[in-house]
Amino acid sequence: MDFKEIDHLLELARIELSSQEKEKIALDLGKILDYVRQLQELDTNNVEPMTGGTLLENICREDNVNKEKQDLSKELKKSASNLKDDSFKIPPIF
Amino acid sequence: MIKEIHNKLINSEITATELIKGYFQTIDEKDNQIKAFLTLTKDSALEQAEKIDEKIKGGKEINVLEGIPYAIKDNMLVKGVKTTAGSKILENYTASFDATVIKKLKKQGAILLGKTNMDEFAMGSSTENSAFFATKNPHDLERVPGGSSGGSAASVASKMSVFALGSDTGGSIRQPAGFCGVVGFKPSYGTVSRYGLIAMASSLDIIGPFAENVEDAEIIFKSITGKDSMDSTSQDISVDTNKTQNIQNTVFGLPKEYFQEGLDDKIKKTIEEVIEKIKSQGATIKEVSLPSTSYALPCYYIIMPAEVSSNLARFDGIRYSSINDYPNLHDIYFKTRGEGFGEEVRRRIVLGTYVLSSGYYDAYYKKAQQVRRLIAKEFKEVFEEVDFLITPTSPTFPFKIGEKVDDPLSMYLSDIFTVGANIAGIPAINLPCGKADNLPINMQIIGPYLSDFSLLNISKTIENIIL
Repeated sequence: MDFKEIDHLLELARIELSSQEKEKIALDLGKILDYVRQLQELDTNNVEPMTGGTLLENICREDNVNKEKQDLSKELKKSASNLKDDSFKIPPIF
Repeated sequence: MIKEIHNKLINSEITATELIKGYFQTIDEKDNQIKAFLTLTKDSALEQAEKIDEKIKGGKEINVLEGIPYAIKDNMLVKGVKTTAGSKILENYTASFDATVIKKLKKQGAILLGKTNMDEFAMGSSTENSAFFATKNPHDLERVPGGSSGGSAASVASKMSVFALGSDTGGSIRQPAGFCGVVGFKPSYGTVSRYGLIAMASSLDIIGPFAENVEDAEIIFKSITGKDSMDSTSQDISVDTNKTQNIQNTVFGLPKEYFQEGLDDKIKKTIEEVIEKIKSQGATIKEVSLPSTSYALPCYYIIMPAEVSSNLARFDGIRYSSINDYPNLHDIYFKTRGEGFGEEVRRRIVLGTYVLSSGYYDAYYKKAQQVRRLIAKEFKEVFEEVDFLITPTSPTFPFKIGEKVDDPLSMYLSDIFTVGANIAGIPAINLPCGKADNLPINMQIIGPYLSDFSLLNISKTIENIIL
């Protein structure tokens, strides 16, 4: 994996690394990708991807308001120190 | 162990306060060397113990878990208590609600002693990836306790807690349980609510117990299992639907792929001896084949990082910590995440980003999901032939601290025998079955999806055969 590709992935993942760290991660990812590529040996034609933790079908529920979750939102926001009028305060984007 | 302590409490042979003080004394004596705990909750534990003592004095009945001291991995939320997931990025985070498992244990009166060390965000097999310190193996302080739930395993093994909870995404309960020589149970996917567990890979994560014996693991599993409205993947599992297994009419499968090269000879020999004993009790032993076994780990190292990269996006430097004084939003994201995440976590986020990115999605992520179905199907089919599978838990003995930390792939291979159960969502348990050179040897028993109670039952029988 080259530096340009690593830079693009780090941009997508929102992570800043030093050039030394980039070198190391490029090397490690190369080895890991070589290892996981062995899946290509398997014939998976007509195999439906398994998208969850079990072979069971999706279960749907009525869309209703969960009071417990509503009350929790205030508590959850307290984890952030920089709150203003119940909103997160961040530097200007524009 | 739990029932014994319970009887002592109700017969007033010991008070809950004495019991809890005793455990904190053991922690004082041992934990400066073993380093299993990140946070202790001494004040609330003693306060709770006093209330239980008053209850017992007043002649009121107590629950079997009431007053029983336990520890939990630091990726489960306890309201008002620091929860770091072993990461610098959550160094100052205090949980604002209780995880469902904590709510359930609190209701039953179990007493939390503290939160245990772990590989950062549960990524690792040695607990060396904790941002704070490495935990040591109680059997040999120069060796790792396994991971990622290494602190929980070490706390039970060194009798610093009666039981502990961990989480298992690819082996993070069973492998450290094996390295520390205690029972570790990974339930079927969805049978324990993940609400309040800091997510690593949501389609693989499950919470389960560490205990001294299978009976205790069963008591704990019973108390934490069940459908929860806060986790839509959770479901009820009925005790009654599982037949009580009699060893004489049980068929155990030995998947030959788990006993091939790479497995330590001493581990192999000990497990073979146990299998002989099980056979002599009248059980049927059958060699079976799971041809896709070697693909489970590479499959896992695509699906897990993909889910990791998505789940860990929430740690943006804004919502879970105090915002550093960076001039723009770009810097808040990039610097907080670059400095706050450790090397292994960054590696997996970037790997996950890669396998999900445009142009690579089909070749990696979709392919892995297809392979996942093949592996799950293979397990399902083998359980039409046999009731349970017996395998080693880990191919090696606990390794030395520092031995594998610079070589991610060799660390990943520690989970080679445990990931299959996560990929397929099926239950599996680690049982200690011997020792060599003072280090524990272990085996794993794997059962079909939702066979958790019969798996625990048969494990009790096997535990007695081993003894």
